Amino acid sequence: MSKAVVDLPPKGGFSFDLCRRNDMLAKKGVNPPSFRKTGTTIVGLIFQDGVILGADTRATEGPIVCDKNCEKIHYMAPNIYCCGAGTAADTEAVTDMVSSQLQLHRYHTGRESRVVTALTLLKRHLFSYQGHVQAALVLGGVDVTGPHLHTIYPHGSTDTLPYATMGSGSLAAMAVFESKYKEGLTRDEGIQLVAEAICSGIFNDLGSGSNVDICVITKGHKDYLRNHLLPNPRTYISEKGYPFPKKIEVLLTKITPLKEKVEIIEAGDAMEE
Amino acid sequence: MEPNLNEPHSMGTTIIGVTYNGGVVLGADSRTSTGMYIANRASDKITQLTDNVYICRSGSAADSQIVSDYVRYFLHQHTVQLGQPATVKVAANLVRLISYNNKNMLQTGLIVGGWDKYEGGKIYGIPLGGTLIEQPFAIGGSGSSYLYGFFDQAWREGMTKDEAEQLVVKAVSLAIARDGASGGVVRTVIINSEGVTRNFYPGDTLPLWHEELPPQNSLLDILSAPSPEPMST
Amino acid sequence: MSIFEYNGSALIAMVGKNCFAIASDRRLGVQLQTIATDFQRIYKVHDKLFLGLSGLATDAQTLYQRLVFRHKLYQLREERDMKPETFASLVSALLYEKRFGPYFCQPVIAGLGDGDKPFICTMDSIGAKELAKDFVVAGTASESLYGACESMFKPDMEAEELFETVSQALLSSVDRDCLSGWGGHVYVVTPTEIRERILKGRMD
Repeated sequence: MSKAVVDLPPKGGFSFDLCRRNDMLAKKGVNPPSFRKTGTTIVGLIFQDGVILGADTRATEGPIVCDKNCEKIHYMAPNIYCCGAGTAADTEAVTDMVSSQLQLHRYHTGRESRVVTALTLLKRHLFSYQGHVQAALVLGGVDVTGPHLHTIYPHGSTDTLPYATMGSGSLAAMAVFESKYKEGLTRDEGIQLVAEAICSGIFNDLGSGSNVDICVITKGHKDYLRNHLLPNPRTYISEKGYPFPKKIEVLLTKITPLKEKVEIIEAGDAMEE
Repeated sequence: MEPNLNEPHSMGTTIIGVTYNGGVVLGADSRTSTGMYIANRASDKITQLTDNVYICRSGSAADSQIVSDYVRYFLHQHTVQLGQPATVKVAANLVRLISYNNKNMLQTGLIVGGWDKYEGGKIYGIPLGGTLIEQPFAIGGSGSSYLYGFFDQAWREGMTKDEAEQLVVKAVSLAIARDGASGGVVRTVIINSEGVTRNFYPGDTLPLWHEELPPQNSLLDILSAPSPEPMST
Repeated sequence: MSIFEYNGSALIAMVGKNCFAIASDRRLGVQLQTIATDFQRIYKVHDKLFLGLSGLATDAQTLYQRLVFRHKLYQLREERDMKPETFASLVSALLYEKRFGPYFCQPVIAGLGDGDKPFICTMDSIGAKELAKDFVVAGTASESLYGACESMFKPDMEAEELFETVSQALLSSVDRDCLSGWGGHVYVVTPTEIRERILKGRMD
């Protein structure tokens, strides 16, 4: 039988069905939408006994802030995390994809994942899409060979550095690192320096904002400090709320009661043999 | 000015490979830039392929990394199958093969250098289109345009190891002084029958050329210095 | 013109105490010409899971058909309804599959999950999830909806108050957007019932 007409779930990769139509629309002057970006400040540094990653928490769509507290430090493996900047969907998809490949690889080998493995998987994917998958990443982790920090660019090039920054706020954050980083920082000094670099991005770069997320990875241990700092709290909440004196005019109301779901608990031990 | 960080990551570079009697010296600066921003000021553009063969990378960082990754992978297989170290010629030929077959996709110029027991120290240049040229010395990257004349004058056959390394460091520092896309430190790799030596020359130890100022800790030092006067009106 | 402005839409989902509300406008237009004033933009996936699709209506309907198909396959295989989190991942995967030739829609997902915990979520047209604790908005009126919700929302509202807040936010926002409007369609879902209401709005 030839190709099935219905689209069945088990298939992978991108689909380019709509490209021709979308190009046609674009040529007629109907612009494609802008995607959600994380116009971001993400950083990482190596300290005395591990790696610290940091990120701001603003997601933007054009000039609009569409998420004030998003998570940009993604899980890769228990000992590896990855900060993502660029198109939000791409950073999310690429880190999810690689983290599941790493999980399978761990099942296969029975060993802890290495940072270089994650690095190679990420750079191969990004290189094969020639920069069209717009993800700029800071990858950090501690494995059997020690702490590692890498940056990965959308085109698939990688760098290995003791301290790294990425995203639109990278210049502001790098200025902090360049003036204050030194080798052999303690954990507290490291966290403070990372927080300072992120804050510099939050306050000086329009694409970055809101709070500071930090992830500290040491040998055999990690601390994900979600919202480590909240330098921009809300100050304009009305405590009373709004009374709405004039109610909305409702034309039609339909109330559907939901069927009560009855949970059946098997009496006795029916499954035991 | 908004630096465009979406621009591909490229290495406006100075890379050099020189033969001397007994081996080769490879040299490179350490600047990697995206448009106007220096993404990495201490990058390593001299990458290991096998124990005795190294490669200097220029052009797109992503492309040159992928090419050298593939070549390293092939050379490891080749070494296992052959049961002895791969020659420089084999390494260079693999680089050429990949560069030539994918020349429409790749923006990278490479210099392969190394030592093997059959031919001694060898330098091969593989510029943009995928040509393979065996040369006594090769220069590449954006900084190389400032060096052709210098090498015509300064390169001699049968230099000693130290002479060759000094030549390489001097040449890279000259290019750093004139080429905006090159900078940072100078890294060298010396390969001969004895093995491999890596050297590192920080930016503030490099010789100062025409009109260059000595490194300063603070801008205030420059302003209060009696001469020269960069800010004079 | 952006493709999102072709049909015009306004969508909003908000969390209350053990309940959620999802609301949309009712206009379907072709640029400035109004085609329908009773258009359904919110779809019921199952009793406790709703999906709103803003953006290009043709893509919204196609995407809805594919999602219903996949949800039915899931029901057949698993003999249960999808959790909202799972459904959000499914929508995201389906959208990201078309990363380089996207469906021009921005979905809003709202549902009651395990233990009737409310879940709301929105995405861009290529499936970048945004999980919010309070409210999510989408469509051409999204800018004004952000402002309205930001000031009107308060945590832990009961169903009736939630309905009033969502409706007020929706109607006040669509009045400042000429591409959406003509009343509203509001669903408030509690663990025991679905209250569906049609709102009267300006007809210009």
